[in-house]
Amino acid sequence: MSLDVRTTVADGVATLVLVGTVDSASARTLDERIVAATDQPVSRLVLVLDELTFLSSAGLRSLLYAHQRLGRGVHIELVNARPEVAETIRMTGFDQSVTLLDGPRDPRA
Amino acid sequence: MRTRLHVGDDTPHGAEVEAHVETLAAATGLDRSETYRLRLAAEEIVTNVALHGYHSGRGVVDLESGTEDGLVWLRIEDDAPRFDPRSHPGARSRPDPASATRPGGFGLFLAMTCVDDFHYEYHGGRNRCTLRLRPGGRS
Repeated sequence: MSLDVRTTVADGVATLVLVGTVDSASARTLDERIVAATDQPVSRLVLVLDELTFLSSAGLRSLLYAHQRLGRGVHIELVNARPEVAETIRMTGFDQSVTLLDGPRDPRA
Repeated sequence: MRTRLHVGDDTPHGAEVEAHVETLAAATGLDRSETYRLRLAAEEIVTNVALHGYHSGRGVVDLESGTEDGLVWLRIEDDAPRFDPRSHPGARSRPDPASATRPGGFGLFLAMTCVDDFHYEYHGGRNRCTLRLRPGGRS
């Protein structure tokens, strides 16, 4: 399964809903969507991961690129990651650079 | 069970790796977490071979899997130049995030970390990586 990304930008918050898989073939799509969504100034980048079934190192690199490019002024939140995806993020220590959130949540709140 | 992958820059292999691992998991009773870890490790090794072994050119990667002594194993063979993934500086210790944006930074580390045993040998002129999981080993 490839990757589908639904993007909304409102009130300084860029929200991307990821559906499918992020691997070496689809990571470029994620890069492009993050760049497009943060083309205008935002204070938060929210990635909704309920329907993300697989995240490889290529996808982690996409998140790292975003973290480095956006800088400390932009908070990155990963919402509702599946246990396996969250574990992958923790294995690499990237959970120290972003916020992992669970449960229903209005990303604009 | 065997699967032959034809990798290349414009040839995604993720779905075939997933299909092989899912079939193996169904046959051997791997749970969801174990299946995911084996898929991730295999995906990272195959991607590394495609990008760095074959330099994004066309090449063949063979997957073979089975069980032995209570372990589930998945073997990955390729014809790229000899390379032991365990020799990569980032393979055994978590890469610094500043360097991890480079390809290979996290991938080999994840591959080594996700499985219970990782073995490499150069066999018959091919690179051969064998990933092993012990079902229930981390529960």
